[in-house]
Amino acid sequence: MSATLITNTMRLLRISSSIKWHMPTIAAVRQYATPPKRFYKTTNVLCTDAGYEVTLDHRKLKTPNGAPFMVKSEPLAIAVATEFDGQKDHIERSRMHISALCFTAIDNPNKLTKLDMVNYLLNFVATDTVLFQYDDEKDLQELQRNEWDPLIEWFNQRFETNLQKTMNITPPQVSEVDKMKIAKHLQSYSLETLHGFVFAVDTLKSIVLACAVIDQQITVERAVALSRLEEEYQLKFWGRVEWAHDFSQQELQARLAAAVLFVHFNCSENLIKEKSIL
Amino acid sequence: MAGTKVLRALLHELRQAAHDPGSIKNSLAARYILAQYKKFETTDQQLCKARNEAIFLGQTYLTYLSSLRKYNALYKDYHSRGERTVKETADLVGFKLPTDPK
Repeated sequence: MSATLITNTMRLLRISSSIKWHMPTIAAVRQYATPPKRFYKTTNVLCTDAGYEVTLDHRKLKTPNGAPFMVKSEPLAIAVATEFDGQKDHIERSRMHISALCFTAIDNPNKLTKLDMVNYLLNFVATDTVLFQYDDEKDLQELQRNEWDPLIEWFNQRFETNLQKTMNITPPQVSEVDKMKIAKHLQSYSLETLHGFVFAVDTLKSIVLACAVIDQQITVERAVALSRLEEEYQLKFWGRVEWAHDFSQQELQARLAAAVLFVHFNCSENLIKEKSIL
Repeated sequence: MAGTKVLRALLHELRQAAHDPGSIKNSLAARYILAQYKKFETTDQQLCKARNEAIFLGQTYLTYLSSLRKYNALYKDYHSRGERTVKETADLVGFKLPTDPK
């Protein structure tokens, strides 16, 4: 009994010493799964009765869940096809925000309902970035007052609410009536559109800014700049670092632009009225 | 005119993003955008919500393409190679190594 134990231990030791211990090379600190190779040459869009599909060569694009990819809007399908065409050697799925949003909306991996998302967004109102201002530093306070207050006012007018900013850490009080009014507006969007809305709010950390940019009050760049207002202010004193500040700014802009496009293309029928040519 | 500028910038970005930059004429997105421009051309001088919306969407798509391109460039420069050597780090922040000549 003990003899077998000893031989087994010896064998284990021999095996472990025979495996050469590779020092991790400097280039690969952590091993991630390699992204899939680009296996197609051209991408195209198919128009069917149910909607628009994307083809990669002769294959139809599918969602990660295996469902066929199908969207209602033509420009959205074209944007996805363009995004797949823009991949170089590998398909970098983490940088295809429009496709990712479409996939999320089709698959709905968390099985969210409209009510879940509206509630999520409503809970966000009390922690909205633009409602938390800071009055210890004069310049910053002035900046926030000039840049954020008009948008809070616009929001209050547009949705007939009465959101108030706060100057300290206590969250602003949002009345039930205001919540109902915002919920009513959000409920008017479809389930797919709300996915885009949630993505925009998560990017900006602000419902006021997200509503403003989706309502075309401000551009995407401006919305991102406003959500990073304090960061931009501090950068003036501490310096701008390209690989952190610019990096995050570009990422936020790309994400927000994808969300805005997604929302608009999903409810564009009632927004774009084609002018009849005489 | 803002519209033309956005169109030129969009085509430029699409050319940079495309797999084969020569075939921009066959690109779906470029053809779609040009068709949209033709469609909304008639409402150039009028106060028209649809036109503003079309321009807004064009600008948004332009932001999307250019931000993604810049993001990828920054990622390639700074984040795609794992750990840097001491020399590279010193160069990045403008320091010299003790062994370097003054």
